[in-house]
Amino acid sequence: MTGFARRLAGKLLAGLVMVWVVVTFTFFLVHALPGKPGDVQYESYIMQGFSPEEARAKVAAVYGFTSHDPLLGQYLGYLGKLLRGDLGESTYYSGVPVSHLISSALPWTVLPVLSGLVVSFLIGVVAGVVAAVKRSSRWGGLLSVSGSLVAGVPSFVLALLLLLVFHTEWHLLPDAGTSDITLEPGWSPAYVGSVVQHAVLPVVSYALLSYGGWLLAMKSSVVTVLGDDFILASELRGLAPVTRARYIGRNAILPLFTVLALSFGVMFAGSFFIEQTFDYPGLGELLLKSIGVRDYPVMAGAFLLITVAIIAANIVADLCYTLIDPRVRR
Amino acid sequence: MAATAALSTVVRNRRPAFTAFRTAVTRKPGRMIGFGIIVFFVVLAVCGPWFYGTLAVDPNAIYAAPSADHWLGTDFAGSDVFQEVVVGARYVLSTAALAALFTSVLGITVGLVAGYHRGLVDSVLMRVTDFVLTIPGLPLLIILSTVWSFGSPWQMGLVLGLTGWGGVARAVRSQALTLRERGFLEAARGLGLPSRHIIVKELLPNIAPYVAMHLLLSVIAFIGAEVGLFFLGLVPFSSTNWGVMLNQAVFSGGAMNSPDALIYLLSPLVCILLLTLGIVLFLDAVDELFNPRLRERA
Amino acid sequence: MSRHRTLVAGLAAAVALTALTACSSSTKKTNDGGSGAKKDGGVYTSIDANNQITAGAPMNPFNAAPNSFLGYNQMRLGFDKFNPSDPNDLFPGLAASWTASDAGLTVQLQPNAKWSDGTPVTVADIKTSLAIAYTQGTAGPVAGAGSTIVLGTNFEVSDIKDLGGGKIEIDQVPGAKNLYFQRLVLSATIVNDKVYSGLLPADIWTLIGAVQGSDQAAAKTASDKLTALGKTIAAFAPAKDVSAGPFVLTRVGPGEALLDRNQYFFAVDKIAPKQVILRHYTGNQQIWGFMTNGELDSSPYTSMPTNILDQILKAGYTRTDAPSYVSASIAFNEKQAPYDKTPVRQALAHIIDRDAVTKVGEPVGGIPAPYTTGLIGSQTDAFLSDDQKAALNAYKPDAAKAASLLQGAGFTKDGSGQWHLPDGSPWTITLQTVNGFSDWIAASTIVANELTAFGIKTTPAITADFATYQKEMAAGKYAVGWWLTALGPQTDKAYNRIYGTADGFSIVNGKAVHSDTSAVNWQHTPATYTVNGQTIDPGQLTADLSVTPVADQKPIIAQLAAATNQELPMIQIWNYTKVGFYTEKHFTNFPKSGADALLLNQPGVWMMQGFVQAK
Repeated sequence: MTGFARRLAGKLLAGLVMVWVVVTFTFFLVHALPGKPGDVQYESYIMQGFSPEEARAKVAAVYGFTSHDPLLGQYLGYLGKLLRGDLGESTYYSGVPVSHLISSALPWTVLPVLSGLVVSFLIGVVAGVVAAVKRSSRWGGLLSVSGSLVAGVPSFVLALLLLLVFHTEWHLLPDAGTSDITLEPGWSPAYVGSVVQHAVLPVVSYALLSYGGWLLAMKSSVVTVLGDDFILASELRGLAPVTRARYIGRNAILPLFTVLALSFGVMFAGSFFIEQTFDYPGLGELLLKSIGVRDYPVMAGAFLLITVAIIAANIVADLCYTLIDPRVRR
Repeated sequence: MAATAALSTVVRNRRPAFTAFRTAVTRKPGRMIGFGIIVFFVVLAVCGPWFYGTLAVDPNAIYAAPSADHWLGTDFAGSDVFQEVVVGARYVLSTAALAALFTSVLGITVGLVAGYHRGLVDSVLMRVTDFVLTIPGLPLLIILSTVWSFGSPWQMGLVLGLTGWGGVARAVRSQALTLRERGFLEAARGLGLPSRHIIVKELLPNIAPYVAMHLLLSVIAFIGAEVGLFFLGLVPFSSTNWGVMLNQAVFSGGAMNSPDALIYLLSPLVCILLLTLGIVLFLDAVDELFNPRLRERA
Repeated sequence: MSRHRTLVAGLAAAVALTALTACSSSTKKTNDGGSGAKKDGGVYTSIDANNQITAGAPMNPFNAAPNSFLGYNQMRLGFDKFNPSDPNDLFPGLAASWTASDAGLTVQLQPNAKWSDGTPVTVADIKTSLAIAYTQGTAGPVAGAGSTIVLGTNFEVSDIKDLGGGKIEIDQVPGAKNLYFQRLVLSATIVNDKVYSGLLPADIWTLIGAVQGSDQAAAKTASDKLTALGKTIAAFAPAKDVSAGPFVLTRVGPGEALLDRNQYFFAVDKIAPKQVILRHYTGNQQIWGFMTNGELDSSPYTSMPTNILDQILKAGYTRTDAPSYVSASIAFNEKQAPYDKTPVRQALAHIIDRDAVTKVGEPVGGIPAPYTTGLIGSQTDAFLSDDQKAALNAYKPDAAKAASLLQGAGFTKDGSGQWHLPDGSPWTITLQTVNGFSDWIAASTIVANELTAFGIKTTPAITADFATYQKEMAAGKYAVGWWLTALGPQTDKAYNRIYGTADGFSIVNGKAVHSDTSAVNWQHTPATYTVNGQTIDPGQLTADLSVTPVADQKPIIAQLAAATNQELPMIQIWNYTKVGFYTEKHFTNFPKSGADALLLNQPGVWMMQGFVQAK
């Protein structure tokens, strides 16, 4: 177990270094972008009937949150603040702490992503095993094709189709928001029910998004293991099917942990399309909007959060991998 | 030793690649269909723009219903939707193909080298891979789209490839790690064969099914990503493609609320679905081609 | 192994929970829709087009993207009627009445004006609010605002006196004769003194005095302080909404804002809805969706195609039209040949079929521009006499006319039909537009098609975002590009857009100075035009407009309109019209087409004026 602890510590350290690299990369990338937040808003003030002078003055006052310090100084300041958990201040929302905006949006991404992940994992893995075992039958083939198709179809295509069917055509589910606003947030059945109702389409989309991945990975893995010499040998030796299933399961589940980390990333990336399509105000929508209005601190913050989540998922996947595959454990 | 020998025979038997390919594809009708769909779209992408140079517009026939003149109706400017689908295929497919090329070259090289060597090389390469995997590709693309022009398939393909090789590298490495512990590789090492020989001759053929599968899947993913960027309206476009069509249909044509623009939305959607289906069906053949054990067991 | 099993068990439980809640949701749906409504006026659902709603944004009107909604929980002394013939015409808000005086303005507050906490609206509230306006750059000069004070822009309050009985005197800085002082003061945002005064230093009016003073150094220091204060105020997030408007913000969910009727509102008996829901949206297509499902009681202006208009009308909505003082134009950089030649611009105007372009670009919310005058159609009609209008060139589509204009300018057409520049090289146009402006992008395809068919190969190009567009346009990178003009209803603003900074004009002490090398000058029109044998200075005429009362503006506008129509610094393609919708499903008595002043305001203002009644 000390080996495990050492490995964990090493992974965490590597993760921290990675976070630092990502922070640095993000910081400089975001600052290399053209355009200032005020520029975007200037024209909209003009549209609202402000004169150019007035619009400029308003932009200067309201969007005065852009720092003019040298870039390196800004970078060091940003790192220092990050250590204290401060993600800086939004420019678009004139000085509102970024962490505040992000924490308002975060639950609406994490909740559906995790639910979708769980649903798709269970269905996908079971379907994968079935598809592998029955791969010569028609149903197995169809199952595999369904997995590949769903995995391949872009998330926005699925989301658009779901919306078209369940909202536009059948009026079954809402197309926007996270809950009925007239209900007081809390644990009341009405509110929870409303949240669930609004979350169904996003969750189903997320689940579809990664279901195919699980299915295909599991199928391919099981097929590979089935072909392995030791399975052949065990079959020839006449070992009980249960024992063989355990052999197979244990070896086949391995590659899935890389899939876990990957699909976490896929889902966060998919959140752009899914949240945009269902107007579900999570992290993806916040990031998309902040890019549109050139809100650098929010962009950097949301970006950072997504990457940290993926780093964490990677570490977990890697550790699980170690725990289960004795050959890699040293 | 025996395993190595057996494997080499299999590899050698596969030499007349075309015959093997034909056998694999024609074994099941589904594969034939998949192959046919892919060929169809490739032909469309190569030849389509020759047939329809510039799209005609007609402000008096906006969102016209399908007719003999306009097989799939018209769009917001009265342009023929069928022509748009055909013309738009080239950008979509060439971008995906280029991206897949960049991905496979980078991913396989990094994955194999890291998985085989372990130690310092592995650590360094995997940190780089982790970095590429960690940076969420799509948000990065969206941000980059404001700096770079993605007008040509080369630029878009390169960026997609650069952000997308991490998954392949990781998968290849993990397969290599597992394989590395197997008898035949240890035997090869024991025989004192050079690393390059082991990587290229022993590891690569065994990893090929995994890579091929990944690559075809990543082609689908690339199509999704590029079309998605246009769909979200984040990438400025100067000519039409499937993503532009989706964007126009949903955000300007109101296809979600009006039956008039529905065909305009569904045409590119169906193309994406069909192409995905084609690749998926074909994938089966590729899987078998590189993984002969499937055939034995089936 | 045991770890493994726990994991699986956990996952299974989670899925079961999800499945369970998913089931409960479908049964939930039936009693969700209509409940709660109808009692006591019910719920009014709409969208604030200027505010997309972000959970986490502060309930502070001075924030750039606040959860504060004009006319609902954000109040003013009065609400602008956008009356082109009288810019100082307003609906009463917190002010019941007002009279202009030599010193400034005397305002009578609504006798029952109260905040949502039950306390009365007082002079202190007005004073704090106007002081805050200074920190926001909307009342007087601030650092970085270009240091020049432009008359007609800022309202320059010097003092506020309590005359007792809810009567307030608001004084203008002596010497600053702003024509629109009344409107600017009355449309300042009024906030609660108890909530906001803590953010202001005790000597705030001393600072404001220093800014207005003649001591340059002291003015600069004071101005910097005000700017710093402005940031603090913009970022301020009050814990609770205190509103003097008809509604008070109860809660902002991630997707919607909920406002309850303010029981202390001075005209609460006029306010029919018990609650207002303002929905979040990310794009036009959602507003269309809400309406085709009948979810909105009224909608703001949204760009839409004709098929959606039909769909919305079918869903039971009534359309309202009000003028929108904006025009979509194609502008030129006259520094880039051949756009420096007037006949070239005129020829292009003859080639582009504005009707066809509008039909594709803005089929519902756009009216093909009848003339290019720098003003929208209805304003041109109002200011020009019939004779003057008859003298304008309508630039009807006319290929022959265009060809003769071009030939006259030395252009040639080759055997394949392609036009060549006087120097012999083929003429190609890149028509610049910007990502996100879907109407311009769609219209560009038609314009490009028409020009290409005429023999000038034209390709539309799209800039990634507006910030870059703005920057590159100012840097003179685009020869031909889309631009918003005719920004009214104030005519001086409309002409300032063309003959202002974008054209190298700046105003110093009432005199227009032209600089062809100014960093923001990208139009590069000449400093003077010759119209009907007369030399005119469009910059000076525009400057004169800003200090001329509307009643006396006709002669100036006649000159500017004629010059703009002849010289075409830009071609007006379509004028926007503000198309709104309402349904009488839950409420009646909505303002109809023709009630421009109301339609240009928010539904909250309609309600204050006695419109929108329970059914």
